[in-house]
Amino acid sequence: MSKSKVKDIDRNIYDIKNKDEYDFKVKKGLTKEIIEEISEQKNDPQWMREFRLNALEVYNKLELPTWGPDLSELDMNEIATYVRPKSKLNTSWDEVPEDIKTTFDKLGIPEAEKKSLAGVGAQYDSEVVYHSMKEELIKQGVVYTDMETAIKEYPKLVKEHFMKCVPVYDHKFVALHGAVWSGGSFVYVPKGVKVDIPLQSYFRLNSPESGQFEHTLIIVDEGASLHFIEGCSAPKYNKINLHAGCVELFVKDNAYLRYSTIENWSKNMLNLNTKKAIIGKNAQVDWVSGSFGSKISMLYPMSILNGEGSKTEYTGISFAGKGQNLDTGFKVVHNAPNTSSVINAKSISKSDGKCTYRSLVRINENAKNTKSSVSCESLMLDDTSISDTIPVNDIKTDEVEFSHEAKIGKISDKAIFYLMSRGLSEEDAKAMIVRGFAYPISKELPVEYAAEMNNLINLELEGAIG
Amino acid sequence: MIKSIELNETPVRTSKNFNANNIKINDIEIPDNISSFYNIDITGECSNIQVEQENNDYSLVYGLGNFLNEYSKAKSNKELNIIVNSKTPKEFILSFNFDENNLNLIENIKITANENCKATIIIKYKSDHNVNAFHNGIIKTIAKNMADINIIIVNLMNDSSNNFLSIENTLEDSSKVKYTIVDFGGKHSITNFYSNLIGNFSNNIINTIYLGKNNQLFDLNYIAELRGVKSNVDIEVQGALKDTAHKHFKGTIDFKKGCKKATGNENEFCMLLSDKAKSLALPMLLCSEEDVEGNHSSATGKIGEKELFYIMSRGFELKEAMKLMVRAKFNRIIENIKNEELKEEILNEIDNRLD
Repeated sequence: MSKSKVKDIDRNIYDIKNKDEYDFKVKKGLTKEIIEEISEQKNDPQWMREFRLNALEVYNKLELPTWGPDLSELDMNEIATYVRPKSKLNTSWDEVPEDIKTTFDKLGIPEAEKKSLAGVGAQYDSEVVYHSMKEELIKQGVVYTDMETAIKEYPKLVKEHFMKCVPVYDHKFVALHGAVWSGGSFVYVPKGVKVDIPLQSYFRLNSPESGQFEHTLIIVDEGASLHFIEGCSAPKYNKINLHAGCVELFVKDNAYLRYSTIENWSKNMLNLNTKKAIIGKNAQVDWVSGSFGSKISMLYPMSILNGEGSKTEYTGISFAGKGQNLDTGFKVVHNAPNTSSVINAKSISKSDGKCTYRSLVRINENAKNTKSSVSCESLMLDDTSISDTIPVNDIKTDEVEFSHEAKIGKISDKAIFYLMSRGLSEEDAKAMIVRGFAYPISKELPVEYAAEMNNLINLELEGAIG
Repeated sequence: MIKSIELNETPVRTSKNFNANNIKINDIEIPDNISSFYNIDITGECSNIQVEQENNDYSLVYGLGNFLNEYSKAKSNKELNIIVNSKTPKEFILSFNFDENNLNLIENIKITANENCKATIIIKYKSDHNVNAFHNGIIKTIAKNMADINIIIVNLMNDSSNNFLSIENTLEDSSKVKYTIVDFGGKHSITNFYSNLIGNFSNNIINTIYLGKNNQLFDLNYIAELRGVKSNVDIEVQGALKDTAHKHFKGTIDFKKGCKKATGNENEFCMLLSDKAKSLALPMLLCSEEDVEGNHSSATGKIGEKELFYIMSRGFELKEAMKLMVRAKFNRIIENIKNEELKEEILNEIDNRLD
């Protein structure tokens, strides 16, 4: 009896390797001298120089997590934390060096900008090489730029918010980020401005044995709205690469932000990313997250519902294939009355891949009349994969409606039988069921990204029945 | 001695900021000198149930943690080895009654149900109102092939006592072990429950009710590891908390490689009767086998206002209406207890605790 088999994700596009050419690459390791060198190279203002050194001290004091995937293969002495590409920041794709531009072309970024985006940022290794935004948004006062420019042009706004949502002592890799961060995007949407077409930042790490530590800081002011998309990828090398980015979202009263991510790092990447949103009165943040790449991921976006009547939704999917350990999930803290959260997480694991859903729902004493519902489904495609669900539900008041459901298992034989009785082959039946399983996530993405996600899943079922 | 202890570790850790990996109890008094415990009643049908007063098996896969596991071994004042040879259902009752002369109980009970044997074993812990009792017990059950055993554990200790209990079960082929746990008493009531379903077609059902008041703390850490083909575990936990009571429920269903066609279900519901009561739940599913079905659900909320209104519109006062609602929630589990006297005692205790 031959068994149906699901192929691994086709990574040809993402595995394009450019020659490791750079303008400057800091030496491997993590010392005070290296941090000072990064500050020097980036011409940091004094407060940022001090901030980085303080973060390094915190990093040295904090321990590695005592839970989750084994991170022992990470050796910071083998990672170069800052690689400046051979390109300055450009506002026209024509000015971007040919090899870098070709990479982004193949990833479809300039094409997407033309078709469906209001603005694009593209980071290559440690620096942003391209940034642009539609003229009408500039006129409305929307700011979309790289973080380095933001520090120089909007110093007060940046200093007021930078690592205030995600403080450096949150965990060891946030402290590391604080010490070596480079690149990323800064977005400010003024009061009442609705940005109807998404902005997108794409992060590409080309250099081997290096890390990417971009910082994304988004402020959506009162009554404004925004859809922000983040994409990430890297070619595969034999040695470990590290991604420890940080996303801070400040969504003020009555504002709305949708934050969509497709992460497709290569399978030598340790993806230890931190994302957090602070949400004001009657405001809402929706997270849409697809995790497909990386060797190890530890990624748990977090919403802090500080404003009365604030809301958050999380819709996430993880796909772990051979050699991958994707530890993902969501955290929400209800910190005000009449708040609500909806969490919908799915995972697919195959070929000894491991998916873990890890979460926290905390409803504090003051969060009266709170509603929260969690649904978590895990699909295992073969008998070598592993799937765990580790949710913590911490309820500190009685005026709540809280429910949590989780399911784990394989594709239902009955469902396959039903579809086959309607004339589908076993392969087509399984493919339909898996795509149906992922549909609640893909329908939340813009069409281009839903298509990318389908490409990433790329489930080809072959074999015979019996 | 006065001690601060961390205990009841979950089998898999999560972020320590979530405060769910274990429970820390500060400045608890652990008695140094343990005298004998005499106030034990053994009643029921004892034919074909053999009771030996010696049990040296203190090994635990999990237990409450190294300190209390070692403490049991060093300080035990009651050992019982119960062997069930009965082919027809028998009810056997063990009552431990704490009073001024029987303050500390460190017992180690082993129950072996031989092949095809059946029994209901009730273990009850009750204390006088005015004593500060200390209980640290081990109950270990081995269900041999086709055995069918029903174990009812009732904790009716007072709220100034401390109750620690480690339960461990091994289920062989086609055996059935049903646990009904009524957990009401203790300033701290900390339970570790571990089942190892090694047998094919083995079936473990765990039904628990807890009812907390004042500043009681309940920490329930249930772990079921499924290894046998077509093995099944069902965990249902229903509870209510009033005043400033706390509850931590950690339930793990772990499908080990090879447990094909196994099923596991976990359902936890906590009713909050006060805005100061707190409930933490960590319902885990761990899965290394594809051909299984695992489900868990967890819910927390206050008593439905519509239902309360309905009952009160029929002439009941608020307190009485709440009692009715809690009793109704617990009833499905209490109905598992066929001993009418014990059932009545539990229902009265619910009423007393909700007064």
